[in-house]
Amino acid sequence: MKTTVAVFFGGRSVEHEVSIISGIQALSALDSSKYDVLPVYISKDNNFYTGQHMGDIKSYKNMDECLSKATRVIPVAMDGRAALMRFPAKKFGNNIVAIFDIAMPVVHGTNAEDGTLMGMLEMLGIPYTGCDVLSSALGMDKYAMKAVLRQAGLPVLDAVMFTSRQYGLNEEEIIGDIESRFGYPVVVKPVNLGSSIGISLANDKSELKNSIDTAFEFSHRVLVEKAVQNLREINCSVLGDIDEAESSVCEEPITSKEILDYSDKYLSNAGEAGGKKSGMSSLKRRLPADIPAELEAKVRELAVKTFKALGCSGVARIDFLNNRETGELYVNEINTIPGSLSFYLWDATGIKFPKLLDRMIELALKRHRERQALTFTYKTNILSDVSLGGAKGAKGKA
Amino acid sequence: MLEIIATVVLFAAFAADCFLLSLHFIHMLQLNSYRNERYLRWMKENRSAIINQMGWLLLATLAVSCFLIQPTDWKVRLACSILFLLHGYLNIPKKAKKPLVFTARVKRLYATYFLLTALVAAAVFLSGMLRISLGALFLWAALTCFAVLAANTINGPIEKKIAGWYVEDARKILKSMENLTVIGITGSYGKTSTKNFLASILSTKYNVLMTPESYNTTMGVVRTIREQLRPTHNIFIAEMGAKNPGDIAEICELVKPKYGIITAIGEQHLETFKTIENIINTKFELADSIPQDGIIFLNGDNEYIRNRQTGKKAVTYSVNPGSGCDYTASDISVSREGSRFIVTAPNGESCVFVTKLLGAHNIQNITGCIAVAHTLGISLSEQVLAVKRLKAVEHRLQLLPNGYIDDSYNSNPAGFRAALDVLSGFDGQRVLVTPGMVELGEKQYELNRELGSYAASRCDYAVLVGENQAPPLKEGLLKAGFPEDRLFVAKDLNNAIAIVNSLPDEGPRTVLLENDLPDNF
Repeated sequence: MKTTVAVFFGGRSVEHEVSIISGIQALSALDSSKYDVLPVYISKDNNFYTGQHMGDIKSYKNMDECLSKATRVIPVAMDGRAALMRFPAKKFGNNIVAIFDIAMPVVHGTNAEDGTLMGMLEMLGIPYTGCDVLSSALGMDKYAMKAVLRQAGLPVLDAVMFTSRQYGLNEEEIIGDIESRFGYPVVVKPVNLGSSIGISLANDKSELKNSIDTAFEFSHRVLVEKAVQNLREINCSVLGDIDEAESSVCEEPITSKEILDYSDKYLSNAGEAGGKKSGMSSLKRRLPADIPAELEAKVRELAVKTFKALGCSGVARIDFLNNRETGELYVNEINTIPGSLSFYLWDATGIKFPKLLDRMIELALKRHRERQALTFTYKTNILSDVSLGGAKGAKGKA
Repeated sequence: MLEIIATVVLFAAFAADCFLLSLHFIHMLQLNSYRNERYLRWMKENRSAIINQMGWLLLATLAVSCFLIQPTDWKVRLACSILFLLHGYLNIPKKAKKPLVFTARVKRLYATYFLLTALVAAAVFLSGMLRISLGALFLWAALTCFAVLAANTINGPIEKKIAGWYVEDARKILKSMENLTVIGITGSYGKTSTKNFLASILSTKYNVLMTPESYNTTMGVVRTIREQLRPTHNIFIAEMGAKNPGDIAEICELVKPKYGIITAIGEQHLETFKTIENIINTKFELADSIPQDGIIFLNGDNEYIRNRQTGKKAVTYSVNPGSGCDYTASDISVSREGSRFIVTAPNGESCVFVTKLLGAHNIQNITGCIAVAHTLGISLSEQVLAVKRLKAVEHRLQLLPNGYIDDSYNSNPAGFRAALDVLSGFDGQRVLVTPGMVELGEKQYELNRELGSYAASRCDYAVLVGENQAPPLKEGLLKAGFPEDRLFVAKDLNNAIAIVNSLPDEGPRTVLLENDLPDNF
């Protein structure tokens, strides 16, 4: 008997296509002697589809054809497992399209990686890989993440956060505040976005205003922080859970521009989509990072602490900012579902992709076991013993 | 017209009575594992109750049949209908502790039973509704217990085929899971709680499936495998019950356990086993089926188990430090936080455990589970939290946060003594609240007097509930030198609690509520 793993990918997110690539990479890497794999594609309008052909990247070149061959489904809980039900349902015959034991979300960005999908899986009551609702949400919200990490004593950059409404009413005041606290250059980011979309560097007041306007296109809340000088970016992946976690070797993304942006991160060399080289793994990088051993040890230690402080599970990638001259080191962000699941970092650390996925599944089962051992409901129905006259009365008065 | 209506009403009433009567007997058949010989034994033991229940149907048979072939008019038919309905109403089954479960098998049994009943009704109708025909209806209803038996016999061969198919299906599922480790648990008592403890402790590291509730027959195990076993499970714990020799071997043949635990051997089910040797041999069928690289875990405190050679790798556990067993629990103490004890493993590793559970038998079973988990690669210290979280069964030596020990479900003198032993281990003021033991037959007075004497040195205050039941306990307590000014008789539980609350403050108070107290105390 094999375990059926449903890999969820896509979603209503700006990183939709990247997620398809990451998802299909994971699908093909799952050990077929242990698992039956079920592709579940989430369209840009948040509908679920499944079908044999959806596990092949080539199918997605023509999206209309891809969807017309697919079956639209809705996931429902069924005896401790989950089923994909045909939607709209046929009047006669079986509407169960597939049944699965474990879910593996490989989605990037808002409306998916931010805990949304995890919330649905939580409702289904099945084990799923990766972060739970809270840690996913924290990982996506750059401001909330800073607050939690600061509380845990981890190094993060100070930031100013404001909403589009606040900015519209007090633009000059906010700009003045940023200038007096940080000077220039500063980095402007939408608060809740994965990837690097909407992020830009501002060297003066007019650039700052432009950057803020750009950032507001992606989020109603924007965050401004001081730019680290002599910047070196270092990324490190962590695998485990809140009890036990280990770090991968570090990588140094190389970019011609000042900040790694979306086109750097995902589009360079993405032509040959389908191979394992596409997506995040094809980005130009130095792996392992060419950094002093001492710094590497520090990064790896902070990466594990960050992972645990946010209550993560499975695999995540933590990105650091380092000032080459002064040695200052800051946690910049966490990707709770990193592009390509950071398999290239683990491969370089000595854990092959199929093994990495095995570990993620083991961790999912562990969390599921622990949750099941907790008391969430009482067997007795409290309402069965009380008179409901009061409730009815209250309704009457309303 | 009236004739037709009366006939329809009569058959409806007949069917209703048959249905209500068969509910009871099919339920009994289910409780006796659908085995005719056990069901017959149950019928024999409950002969008088069955006659009470069915007898006046027989009387009705005779009464109606008196005028053999006289035809019946609508009045007679209506009168008979009322009789059927009344009888059915009076025999609506009461709520049972373990109610009838409408399994597919029960439904098939009903189908056959109703077919038989319909045949009888058809024959009666075709014979022209004579008096004697109505008599036959009453007779059929009166013999429901045998009709159910007949239906079961008819279904026998089909059921065997179906069961065989289920067993083979379960075997196929197990075969497809090469990496599954199976652990079998058997014993005369303590199986179910040991199973629950073991599943909780092993869950710290593994995905565990256990047979639910007290499913412990081959078909119970088969059902668990077919419905609940998932490829993600690492360990399957099967509780194995035995009522006859060969029962355990049959389950083992199916699940092929690599590890086994024998919790205890006592004289349970002696009537079906005839001798204690048969009981021991049956329990050790588990040890016999363990492979050479497997391990059998044995309760070293049980003399029947200790003295038996297995020829397999055996690991023993005990709550007596001097026993020379592989895993021992020592320094057992009780307090408001529960029991505290030290377990020492054969490699010298030892660790302090705390659990909410009370009583030597619980510590013994937990120690056995710790031994198994340790063998399966969970260090003692990794098990501490899981042991701490084990839950007591409600009303069975259940330690409540307010210092009360609720043992209200206990109903035997041995359990009473064990609870008194636990109470005596507490520091501070120890209070016993009990109505004494009931339903012990003619020895009741004597047994309660002995319990009173046993309690005298194990509590500081005794509050006896119920003026009628108090005398034997009181006599026993006083005879053993219990001070009379510390002995109270309360008229009911509320009164008893009021007495407890008015006792002088002498340090932490522990109150044992023993036997037969209302659920929602």
